[in-house]
Amino acid sequence: MKMIRAFIRPEKEQEVVLALEGAGFPSLTKMPVFGRGKQKGLQVGPVHYDELPKMLIMMVVNDGDVTKVVNLMMDKSRTGFVGDGKIFVSPVETTYTVRTGEAVL
Amino acid sequence: MKEITAIIRRDKLPETKKVLEDLGFPSLTIQSVDGRGKQKGMVCDNDLDPDMPEKFCTSVKLTPTPSTYALEHTLPKVALFVPKRMLTMVVPDDLVTKIVKSIMSVNQTGKTGDGKIFVSPVEGALRVRTAETGGEAIA
Repeated sequence: MKMIRAFIRPEKEQEVVLALEGAGFPSLTKMPVFGRGKQKGLQVGPVHYDELPKMLIMMVVNDGDVTKVVNLMMDKSRTGFVGDGKIFVSPVETTYTVRTGEAVL
Repeated sequence: MKEITAIIRRDKLPETKKVLEDLGFPSLTIQSVDGRGKQKGMVCDNDLDPDMPEKFCTSVKLTPTPSTYALEHTLPKVALFVPKRMLTMVVPDDLVTKIVKSIMSVNQTGKTGDGKIFVSPVEGALRVRTAETGGEAIA
């Protein structure tokens, strides 16, 4: 299993979630975060924004589905401008469902 | 070292903290998150989640008459989310099972929405104050 953490534009969140739901991945956790990238924030005229609001979408999927989910997220959250975000994939060894106590995703 | 990420109900947080304290693991990070699982954030009448915002409950409770069916299909689709608490802690390898078991024992209600626990590997840890690394940093 892999954990996918995607930092995307907050306004694209709804679109990404509905696309994932349509592809059969309804389970996810989201949280609002603030961050910056290579460009060190955003310069609008004289005003400099050091940290920009992003939405962090976290989900755990089976190894075989990682490419599909990542491609879907990239398609839906891309605008072509700086600040579209990053996606990180990291390993997860075990997943437990609290209600049943079973070690299945 | 392993990282345990547990996504649990909001009202179970004090009990979970208590049980972890009793085990000797008081250190953890808590975050407020919104999430959903297989049920897509919806709940049935018989297992209404008290954490669910009021407007979400009513939208699910609509009785399926032809007019509400038509109404639901003309409304723009929105994704529903349930507020949850996410706990993150880094623990030694040999205690993972024990901690997971105790988190599960206090959080089981038998209804959907009890949450998930993820266990993933961590390569290293470092205590900022003393620059200790590895096992001593999380002890």
